[in-house]
Amino acid sequence: MLGIVSTLADSVGSGSADYLVKPMTILLLCAVGGLGTVFLLPGPKQSAKLGGAMLMIAGLLLSLVVFFATAGHVDSDTGPYFWIFSAIAIFGAVRVITHPRPVYSALYFVLTVFASAGLFILMYAEFMAAALVLIYAGAILITYVFVIMLAASAQSPNDRSPLAGLAECDLVSREPFMAACVGFALMGVLLFVIFDKADQFSAQIPVPTAASLMPEETVHGSTQSIGQYLFQSQMVNLELAGLILTVAMVGAIVIARRKVTDIDQRFEPSVETISSNATPVNDDPHSIPVYGTTNPRQKSFPEH
Amino acid sequence: MQNILVLQHYLAIGAIMFVIGLIGFVTRRNLIVIFLCTELMFQGVAINLIAFSRYTGNLAGQAFVIFVLVIAASEASLALGLVVLLFRTKNTLDADAWRDLKW
Repeated sequence: MLGIVSTLADSVGSGSADYLVKPMTILLLCAVGGLGTVFLLPGPKQSAKLGGAMLMIAGLLLSLVVFFATAGHVDSDTGPYFWIFSAIAIFGAVRVITHPRPVYSALYFVLTVFASAGLFILMYAEFMAAALVLIYAGAILITYVFVIMLAASAQSPNDRSPLAGLAECDLVSREPFMAACVGFALMGVLLFVIFDKADQFSAQIPVPTAASLMPEETVHGSTQSIGQYLFQSQMVNLELAGLILTVAMVGAIVIARRKVTDIDQRFEPSVETISSNATPVNDDPHSIPVYGTTNPRQKSFPEH
Repeated sequence: MQNILVLQHYLAIGAIMFVIGLIGFVTRRNLIVIFLCTELMFQGVAINLIAFSRYTGNLAGQAFVIFVLVIAASEASLALGLVVLLFRTKNTLDADAWRDLKW
């Protein structure tokens, strides 16, 4: 194993006259990662999890070899943090799609969000990092966890097996091999373009230096300058974003509301809760039916 | 060359996260996890946008990430409302329960 890694490192590092990373290396990396993902995805073969985990570790090692071989010039200030944050982010992302329990998937997604926020800070985007943590980890994921809890099925306390109480749709994934083939083919093409078109890319864009990369005041006041940019150049778009959020909020409330039975009928055991959308019976705006009654003529606000 | 290399590393991370989210979107059958994988794809795109914003010195990338967040938030709220509605109707989160909608 170590010999293979070292020879790969040699072939990657020294023979980089034409390619930054050899296409065979990317191909091998994608094949190993794809096989590991296939074995890790929830399926009927529970014994394959160990092999899947080992394959994923192999893929991770391979990627580290590739990246360290090409990244001799990563600036030493942010270099280690970049590797740590990206490893955490990818680990969390893989666990999001492979964990059979949706609650744990959501929590691993929080881990991924925090790691991405760390990557944002490395790129001097402090405001975006804070907004990411607040909006994703604080708002969206809370909504997800609430919905997961609403839809959770009851688990018997005696059953201690790790997959107890899970529905069949969580235990068996759909077409994992085909999906991994297509996905990792896409990833191979993307990585190939990213790494091997480097020379054309750097020929078109002037090579940035530390001074031209970002103006000094932008680096030190990134939040201030993005606020100025938003409210000077993107004013209409910002207002539209607020409008979209309002419309989405109203739409979500309308979609997810449910009929509530009347107080007088609440204690009768025969009354069922009807969970369909309440729509007016005709176009008369005064004839909105009152929940819990069967009389469509009864008005919610009687005039007398 | 030095800084271009770092840009490529961020792009690679974004691509890997997008692809992982894509695979999860296709393979998982729980409706909630499917939407979580959509958020994962948004994360990969956001990393790409921030990286380009950093390495071209242009603030439009960061502003675009704000709008991506706005769309992601409204999409999440609407989609979860729909998921709650679907769960009440068929009492399951399996996406295959709605196979009738295919044609």
